[in-house]
Amino acid sequence: MDFRFDIIEDYFPLLMRGTLYTICISLASIVIGSILGLGVGLGKMSRFWFLRWPMQSYINFFRGTPLLVQIFIVHFALVPLFYGKTNAIAAGVIALSLNAAAYTAEIYRAGIQSIDKGQTEAALSIGMTPWQAMRFVVLPQAIKRMIPAFGNEFIVLLKDSSLLTFITVPEIMYWSNAMKNQYIRVWEPFLTAALIYFILTYTLNKLLVWLERKVQA
Amino acid sequence: MNKRYTLGMLTLVAAITLSGCGAKKANDAEGAANGGNNGAANSSNESNATSGSGADDTTYLFASDGSYAPMEYMDKDVLKGFDIDFLDAVMKEAGLKYEVRNVAWDAMLESVKQGKEYQAGISSISITDERKQTYDFSAPYFESTNVILVKEDSDIKSASDLKGKKVAVQGGTTADILMTKIIGEGNTDLKKFDSNAVALLELDQGGADAVVADIAIVRDYIKNNPDKKLKEVLDNTNFTPEYYGIAYPKDSGLKAKLDPAIKAVIENGKYAEIYKKWFNEEPDTTHLTETE
Repeated sequence: MDFRFDIIEDYFPLLMRGTLYTICISLASIVIGSILGLGVGLGKMSRFWFLRWPMQSYINFFRGTPLLVQIFIVHFALVPLFYGKTNAIAAGVIALSLNAAAYTAEIYRAGIQSIDKGQTEAALSIGMTPWQAMRFVVLPQAIKRMIPAFGNEFIVLLKDSSLLTFITVPEIMYWSNAMKNQYIRVWEPFLTAALIYFILTYTLNKLLVWLERKVQA
Repeated sequence: MNKRYTLGMLTLVAAITLSGCGAKKANDAEGAANGGNNGAANSSNESNATSGSGADDTTYLFASDGSYAPMEYMDKDVLKGFDIDFLDAVMKEAGLKYEVRNVAWDAMLESVKQGKEYQAGISSISITDERKQTYDFSAPYFESTNVILVKEDSDIKSASDLKGKKVAVQGGTTADILMTKIIGEGNTDLKKFDSNAVALLELDQGGADAVVADIAIVRDYIKNNPDKKLKEVLDNTNFTPEYYGIAYPKDSGLKAKLDPAIKAVIENGKYAEIYKKWFNEEPDTTHLTETE
């Protein structure tokens, strides 16, 4: 089987630039998504139905519809509505963040609910407010338990960011598609892209293992 | 007997592989595998080509990416368009059985290159020198050119005016190749979308100043969307005519069989008939008959 390394070399600088976009967009999205997700997750656990109900709907929508469709809605409808015209990178970060928020919300809920209720009761009994109990007693313990699930979500999001090629965000898959279309060859661009994603997720995985060990100690 | 059995098996494999195919077809294939003696007959039910002299009763499988109206598109679960009608005329002329299936562009290109499942691709594929390295092409059967689609009040007059502007194209098309040369490789002002439909949406939502695409696509879009106030800009210096051809795997024997049929269809008036049906005008086939 012929495999043309010369065309990979040709596209290497663009693929590297694309990798930078993938990293930055994924990082921004996981950070924003985790912050939004905490709000959504806490809202879903709230005693008040008017908080619980919309948050549950939010999670249902973003987990229950294809991410590609969400990306299109954000790019072609949501962003033009506020910004007047489309902006692929902004749309990409918004779509991935909103999507990640739904998944991380459930991670927070699982983590928080895994902490024994007695902890909260003890915190409240020594005069902490419910917010303080959450902030200083429950969350610090829960977050440790959430790390593996968060790592999982981050890896999935990193790979999902390849869907942004459909709205022409110049990330890894975008340049890999350009390469594929120029030479009408499938394996060189796709396997190269796969290798880059693998290196990224493998590195990320190592970082997470290190982080997990660090917080356990 | 042996050959027929193989054909029956092939039909079965094809039916299983093609997840989109209906239950009826799968049943047919199963029947063929069980009976073992009428597989070939069943698979030819799909095509409406007339049987030829009987010397070659292979059913040739064509791939087409039905995302390029009016050249080829899916009308519900049936492929339609100029290319599809043209292929039908050519195969009738050649007296060969065939079947054409909707396959997404990338998968189409790869499978035609391999030539195992599909023997050819007909999908508005422009003949270019790069593509000739990987495929054999039929005689050219369609002349096309790229045009610029802009809003009516735009002051863009030629392709050179597009430098510094945001331009949306379908990636992998000749519009992509031409605009990459003008705007520059790696410049993200050129937005390469997965299909023209999405590129046109980008223009609509203000993310691009222009779309560059084949003239048939652009005219069809302007005609169907009069309220969007769009116009086409021709640029004969930057966008020279290009020709579509049927793509075969390298060293395919099919080219020799179909080229005379293509020539006949163009010369006997059948081509003009199909052209008028889809574009409401007479074709100019002078270049098609002289470029060989």
